[in-house]
Amino acid sequence: MKKNFYSLLYNRRMWRQIAVNVACAVFSCVSLVSCIGEEYPADDTPMDNFEALWRLMDEHYCFFEYKKSTIGVDWDEVHARYRAKITARMNERQLFEVLCQMLAELKDGHVNLSAGFDVGRNWSYHEDYPENFDEAVARSYLGTDYSIASGLKYRILEDNIGYVRCESFSDGIGDGNLSYMLSDLALCDGLIVDVRNNGGGELTTAHKLAARFTNEKCLTGYICHKKGKGRSDFSAPKPEYIEPAEGLRWQKPTVVLTNRRCYSATNDFVKCMHAFPGVTLLGDKTGGGSGMPFTQEIPHGWSVRYSAVVCYDRDMQHTEFGIAPDTLVLMADDDVLRRRDTLIEAARALLRERGNNMACGHIAELE
Amino acid sequence: MIAMSDLSLSIYSLRGLTMAIVLWSVHCCMMAQEGVCDVDTVVTECSLQEGLVGTLEGGRTGCGVMQPCMWDNPLVSTHSTMFGVGAANVLDTYLSPYSYTGPEVRIVRETGRPTKLMRGRVSNQTLVDVNASYLENRSGTAHEWAGGIRYSIGWHYLFYASGSFSLRGGLLASGYIGGVYNTRNGNNPAQAKADVTVDVSALAMYVLSVARTRIVLRYQLNVPFLGAAFSPNYGQSYYEIFSRGDYDRNVVFVYPGNMPSMRHLFTADIPVGHGMTALRVGYSGQFNQAVLNGLRYHSYSHNFMFGFVKRFKRL
Repeated sequence: MKKNFYSLLYNRRMWRQIAVNVACAVFSCVSLVSCIGEEYPADDTPMDNFEALWRLMDEHYCFFEYKKSTIGVDWDEVHARYRAKITARMNERQLFEVLCQMLAELKDGHVNLSAGFDVGRNWSYHEDYPENFDEAVARSYLGTDYSIASGLKYRILEDNIGYVRCESFSDGIGDGNLSYMLSDLALCDGLIVDVRNNGGGELTTAHKLAARFTNEKCLTGYICHKKGKGRSDFSAPKPEYIEPAEGLRWQKPTVVLTNRRCYSATNDFVKCMHAFPGVTLLGDKTGGGSGMPFTQEIPHGWSVRYSAVVCYDRDMQHTEFGIAPDTLVLMADDDVLRRRDTLIEAARALLRERGNNMACGHIAELE
Repeated sequence: MIAMSDLSLSIYSLRGLTMAIVLWSVHCCMMAQEGVCDVDTVVTECSLQEGLVGTLEGGRTGCGVMQPCMWDNPLVSTHSTMFGVGAANVLDTYLSPYSYTGPEVRIVRETGRPTKLMRGRVSNQTLVDVNASYLENRSGTAHEWAGGIRYSIGWHYLFYASGSFSLRGGLLASGYIGGVYNTRNGNNPAQAKADVTVDVSALAMYVLSVARTRIVLRYQLNVPFLGAAFSPNYGQSYYEIFSRGDYDRNVVFVYPGNMPSMRHLFTADIPVGHGMTALRVGYSGQFNQAVLNGLRYHSYSHNFMFGFVKRFKRL
């Protein structure tokens, strides 16, 4: 039996036969599988463009269930309603208008259809509300002798309150710049971080700034993505934390000024700051925009932007339609005429009061 | 996973089927000629002065076959460099649901070396394949850059040799790294491509005598049959993977069911001078496909290749 086993093992003819059979099997398996090609309608006709856009959103957009429960959007009903508006003879401007109207049903500032002649959008998240921000008035608080660190503009106001204006998170912020800024503001009694009209930018930049306002690892929210074409196919939410920055960190009371134009990464920054002790949100509700947008396209070549990744707050609640402030303060018209920013003044008063309370507390401890 | 109901015979499928039929036919021929030209013969030393021609004398039956020196002479290794120009068609549904097409350039560096394994019937091959393409969508409104580098190393066993024809088969270990970048997209501008696979490889050679010149025709087919590849999940952002370290099935086991790919290389070596150098012209056809985590990908490229082959005597 042992002799038979070894003769089998060293039978070259048998091994050649096995090898050729395996190779033929592999090549045959591959040959039976067809090409992996496009799945979407590809003809550049109004109907194909409509169907491609609707299906693209259907399989990739991440807020259908939420939008259905909050604003009553039924994407299948939208398909039937807008399909009736598509005709073979419509020109590209007409097609663009109909497709943009369809996308506007979602009331999502991260959903856009971009053509060479226009960008379809729904900005009702701020257009339907007062702005609560006047650029000229805000600039008067900075004056002309403010400092600039990585795009952040800051100065110390007359009552020893620090004021930082952050207009965008599109550009990176250097760690050294942040440390210099906080060092310059170290003797202030409180800090105002003004992110009004900040439309967003890089999430990593927003988180880098937020990390200067906490001394411990802090749960700030959850994130999940789609893992399939179904409207409910999501991954398990993963917790998001902000870890304290290694450089200088702010230890005193902070007020973050917000308005309806705080969107996307700024909304996420406000969400993170809201999780930290000693931080107060003051102003109007933010615009929202908690979905991280991806880009695709339709046959005509127009690009489509849509919310693809969902970010929740630390209580697993959506912030897609904004974060409410701790203290609601709206800009008074007569304040604007007097070149007075109602929100900044309210923040200063709040910080002075907090500062006095802290001083009283210290005096009580000493006694 | 690809639906097996999708059985339309495309040109791509016909190539694979043809190769399978050829292999099976050769196998039958081998079985029919058992004992007539037994491959278990001793390889004689190839005379370098004879250029590309060498002799392989049969054993008990005394039949002789013509073999290129570069593959059967244990003293000779071959090195070739080829440059290619052609066209590519790339689809990556993480970036766009539609294919992008455009020109491609390719460089292939190959080294072939006989070994002493199994009495000289095993040869070693390394392949370095670099490609780059600039692509455009159908409407001309967006562009993509695609490219990468593949390194393969493997061994081929001489299964059959008769007359001027020889057939080898073996396995290659192959690793690829590259990517596709869309110049217009926002948070999903690029898709990284990386895989490590074991490829089944077949290599057929034929020495063609034309006007006292021996041209070596060579056809090689590599088919990956198992390995691992990187892929984001269906709607997962690279921010989640690399900035946050959130893993979600990003390394996927691949096999012909979800990565049905083929890489063809057809070349003709035309000797120059005394035969240690040859001009190599040919065709490279790469059909790389994958459906991983619901994301569809293909990269079809056709390149006209030209270059040179040099043989070196090992001391």
